[in-house]
Amino acid sequence: MKAKDLMITVQNFLKPDDTLRDAVTLLKVAKRGEEKVGVNGLPVLDEAGKLVGMLSMRDILKAVHPTYMDLMDLGEFTWDGMLEEAAKKLADKKVYALMTKDVTTTKEDSPLMDAVDHMIKSNVKRLPVIDNTGRVVGMLYERDVFFAIVRAMLNENAGGEK
Amino acid sequence: MTEEVKAATEVVMGTQFWVATTIFILVYGLIITEKIHKTILAIVGATTMIVLRIVTQEDAFNSMELGIDWNVIFLLVSMMIIINIMRPTGVFEYIAIKSAKVAKGRPFAIMAIFSVVTAVVSAFLDNVTTVLLIAPVTILICQALELDVVPFLITEAIASNIGGTATLIGDPPNIMIASKAQLDFMAFVYHLTPVIIVVLLAYVITIKLIFGKQLKVKEELRQRVMAMNENEAIKDPVLLKKSLIVLAITVAGFIMHGTLHYEPATIALFGAGLLLLVSGTKEPHHILAEAEWATLFFFMGLFMIIGGVVKVGLIKWMSIKVLEITQGSLFGTTSVILWFSAFASAFIDNIPYVATMNPLVIDMAKQLWPNISGLNLLHHPDLMPIWWSLALGACLGGNGTMIGASANVVVCGMAEKMGKPISFKKFMYYGMPLMIESVIICHVYIWLRYYVLKI
Repeated sequence: MKAKDLMITVQNFLKPDDTLRDAVTLLKVAKRGEEKVGVNGLPVLDEAGKLVGMLSMRDILKAVHPTYMDLMDLGEFTWDGMLEEAAKKLADKKVYALMTKDVTTTKEDSPLMDAVDHMIKSNVKRLPVIDNTGRVVGMLYERDVFFAIVRAMLNENAGGEK
Repeated sequence: MTEEVKAATEVVMGTQFWVATTIFILVYGLIITEKIHKTILAIVGATTMIVLRIVTQEDAFNSMELGIDWNVIFLLVSMMIIINIMRPTGVFEYIAIKSAKVAKGRPFAIMAIFSVVTAVVSAFLDNVTTVLLIAPVTILICQALELDVVPFLITEAIASNIGGTATLIGDPPNIMIASKAQLDFMAFVYHLTPVIIVVLLAYVITIKLIFGKQLKVKEELRQRVMAMNENEAIKDPVLLKKSLIVLAITVAGFIMHGTLHYEPATIALFGAGLLLLVSGTKEPHHILAEAEWATLFFFMGLFMIIGGVVKVGLIKWMSIKVLEITQGSLFGTTSVILWFSAFASAFIDNIPYVATMNPLVIDMAKQLWPNISGLNLLHHPDLMPIWWSLALGACLGGNGTMIGASANVVVCGMAEKMGKPISFKKFMYYGMPLMIESVIICHVYIWLRYYVLKI
């Protein structure tokens, strides 16, 4: 099985100039396959449809977490309301300022093991799938790869959903 | 004058001279442009000196005069190891939170206490480490009190440079001077600590005048600080106790190393080894790998480059020029070195500066007192104020601009990440007058102590 057999076609994406307010609104309602369930990360595409980054829930968590707290253990000394205050300040920031710019991708014809290799080494849960021209054609999710593993393990037919 | 002319003719400006001088100027010039990392430049410059046979590898690796000063390297690396073991205990978070609570959340009291704490910690740890340990807590406290963090960060960087000047181990220039001039820990305590205490007092009064009125805080926000429990900061009380005991032994070792005839590096490395042993760590490679190897290699490279220009006589030639300018007046030389060092260090890295000045001072001494050698020359009563001026000027000069000292660069980097960049002009607006104030105090001190009272 290849990446393209498991990927989900990109329906929602962000633009670099979107504000975080726009971004979180879309993350909340974005479609994943047929369902409108919200997603944990979205690709960021420029005008020409080229992939320029990924914005995930974790990027937003990192953005509210002050950089100086990376340097020392200060968690015990924070106060109620600090996170909400940081979140409000973030609303008008642009997506390009916070997105992950160095995105790991997989090709549509790559074997699934290649995708797993990327997911493990880059510590990501979703991979943009690109075609030969470099255009993003879909998203491959960790959960879907996991189900492929489940099917193989239980000797189920491909596509045999429970 | 005839004596100097005679001495000058001893410098042969042949091919070797110009090759070594070119390498020296190229490396120092490129360091200033910051286009290539200074450590890479130092390594390339140093090895070029060897490849072009200006110095031999034997000189570069094993000669005290022309090569790497291992006393400096091992002192630095040992202190880095000690800090790397102590950091996870949470002791530094504890000290900073405790300080804010002692100040009862009052903004100027926080600024003053943080400055004094930073200065005292800097006297024993290197300045960058100190600000990296104090600044994150400062930013948190300022955020809790809804205060502008910039004045706090600037005052801490400056305080760390002041405090670092007080002892042999406080700042790399002092470590280098101590090793080259064979001065012990207590000599620095006796000669530099008193004036630094005065400088620090004057500094706190000055920042009170500058910032005292503009710092205001809402009553309810102070509760945020008062609600913090500093005891929660301590993550590993057992390791902390062990660390404090080893640190006490190490400091006692520093205090006595002169009397016991040990080099400071011996004491520091012994302390580091002892702490590694009692910490019970099974993975020393992490602790060792976290030493700042880029800094250490920068030092090693510089020592080799300086060795090259010492060997070909460039430094001797420069020392002759300095004596010509001051026309043999010792107080004149001391004053020139104090102020020149301060302004030079405000704009260039004080480490390469002191690396160059150390052999220059020795060459100068050789010309002033050609019949004396060894310790009698290095510790000539008339030479001592020159060493102290070099230390005071080079360390305090770093406060002049944001690029003058690594601690300044670090806090400016932090402020920028916070979205509150400190401009070159803004830092200088505060830093330069404060630096000049401190150097004036030192100048008066040196004149009074060594030329009037002669004690």
